Amino acid sequence: MRRPRTGVGRLLGKAVLAFAGFMAVFPLLWTALNSLKNNVDIITRVPRVVFTPTLANISYILGRDSVLTGLYNSVVACGVAVLVGVVLGLPAAYAVARYPNRWAGDIQFFVLSLRFLPPVAVAIPLMVIWLQVGLYDTLAALIVTYSLLTISVIMWLAIPAFQAVPKEVEEAAFVDGYGAYSVFWRIALPVAARSLAGAVAFSFVLVWNEFLIALMLSSSNAKTLPIVASELSQQGMNVPWGILNASVVLLSLPPLLFLGVLSGFLNSVFRQKKT
Amino acid sequence: MPRRSSLPVTFVVPTLVILLILSMVPTLYAIVIALQNRELSSADYSYVWFSNFYDLFSDRRFLNAVWVSVKWEIVTVAATMTVAIGLGVLMFEVASPRLRNIYCLLFIIPVLLPRVSAAFVWKFAYHPLYGIATYPYRLLTGGMIFDPLSKPATALFAVASVDVWQWGLFFAVIVLKLLETLPRQPIEAARLDHARSWQIHAYVTLPMLKAPLVSLMFVKMIESLRSFDLIYVMTRGGPGVATETLDMYAFSQGFIESGKVSYASAMAVLMMVATVITFTMLWKRVQA
Repeated sequence: MRRPRTGVGRLLGKAVLAFAGFMAVFPLLWTALNSLKNNVDIITRVPRVVFTPTLANISYILGRDSVLTGLYNSVVACGVAVLVGVVLGLPAAYAVARYPNRWAGDIQFFVLSLRFLPPVAVAIPLMVIWLQVGLYDTLAALIVTYSLLTISVIMWLAIPAFQAVPKEVEEAAFVDGYGAYSVFWRIALPVAARSLAGAVAFSFVLVWNEFLIALMLSSSNAKTLPIVASELSQQGMNVPWGILNASVVLLSLPPLLFLGVLSGFLNSVFRQKKT
Repeated sequence: MPRRSSLPVTFVVPTLVILLILSMVPTLYAIVIALQNRELSSADYSYVWFSNFYDLFSDRRFLNAVWVSVKWEIVTVAATMTVAIGLGVLMFEVASPRLRNIYCLLFIIPVLLPRVSAAFVWKFAYHPLYGIATYPYRLLTGGMIFDPLSKPATALFAVASVDVWQWGLFFAVIVLKLLETLPRQPIEAARLDHARSWQIHAYVTLPMLKAPLVSLMFVKMIESLRSFDLIYVMTRGGPGVATETLDMYAFSQGFIESGKVSYASAMAVLMMVATVITFTMLWKRVQA
């Protein structure tokens, strides 16, 4: 096999890759570093790497009621919406995957097409509706709205996950006298669990990161963490850079916790394709 | 599979009914609002039918927003796919399996960040005086100032770069995984014919991956519609209206500037009709 192991092209390729890898994480690491700096160490024309670290920004953030309320709202709204997505989305995905009928394609397309809807087009009427029924600026309104997202995303990702479960396993269970529901509970769910966990984690990240709908459906009580974080930057000209950086770090941590699950999910999706 | 079971009905019908209600109520109501003259400041309203839509087409700021949105779609989709294919192929060619795994992990990080976080990270980085991304420029020019976010010519690209940072790197991982699923024989055969690496990819592997790459582009086109968070945090549509996309303009008409909810809704309805028609047609073509 004629494959040059060295050469300018290869070396250049490696350099480009290394640069891309650096670019992927450096801005975030820099933000994390800035969150440990006093303002004087941030507002410098030459970036400072050596400085006296401070926990003042982080403790300020964690001590603020608005941030804690935002954190609470985000956790509750996203947690409940994901739960609703799991309860309603997984069984429906299983049925579409295992009991295909002539609508299966249309159902899948409908679920995907929900993603085409511009968020503004959903948020404006919902704001008016929630105002009229007196639920504007409540977590309940946010949860119902986010459920649309979580159900559709979980369904969309879980259909292929259930299809990947070997049919023979389920058929053997039927022969053993399991009913349709217990096959779902005892066979399909456990076997597909890893891929399904990826789908669920993905839906969580999606709603945790959601901004526009939360911005339009909350004014004070139901603000989620992204909204609170974005408001910290609007405190006049005297931008508290360190605090802002700390809030970005806090906001980014939960999705990053799922890095392992999600990259495992990606791998399993493509391993299925290979076989 | 058992022939007769109540499972499909009990599992699918409730979910679909809920999805239909949750999606149809707001979309239909968006149309109703668009035909009225609601404003945030007053409780009463009446039907004005299509006058919001007539107004839109003579609103130069709206036409600008359409143009900015189209530019945004083209720039972000093209740049994302270029970065993804470039880095994906590079990883496939020059990185060892262990290194590939590390790069894959690194490249997924940006897309997991909340858009608001990504926007802030880069807003600091692009700061003309203290930013880390503008530092090389200050260093090379002896302290001259470059402010990409406040120049009309560069603002859109500066914001788009953040979108590409998130999605391009992520898609590079997917392109790599797609390349890894390909059979080895055609690649080896091309190598035996003394084809260069880039030729192998341009004429063998990428054409083999045409269908999944087109689907990937389709996903990016949908995700590019969600530009609001980045633009809201980084430029608020400015400088002037240089980065004011449709959702940004609809938001500022409806909530920041005038509270013209119906006018904003008319805009949203037009967006919805345009995207649903475009993407339904594209999807049918991708599937065919």
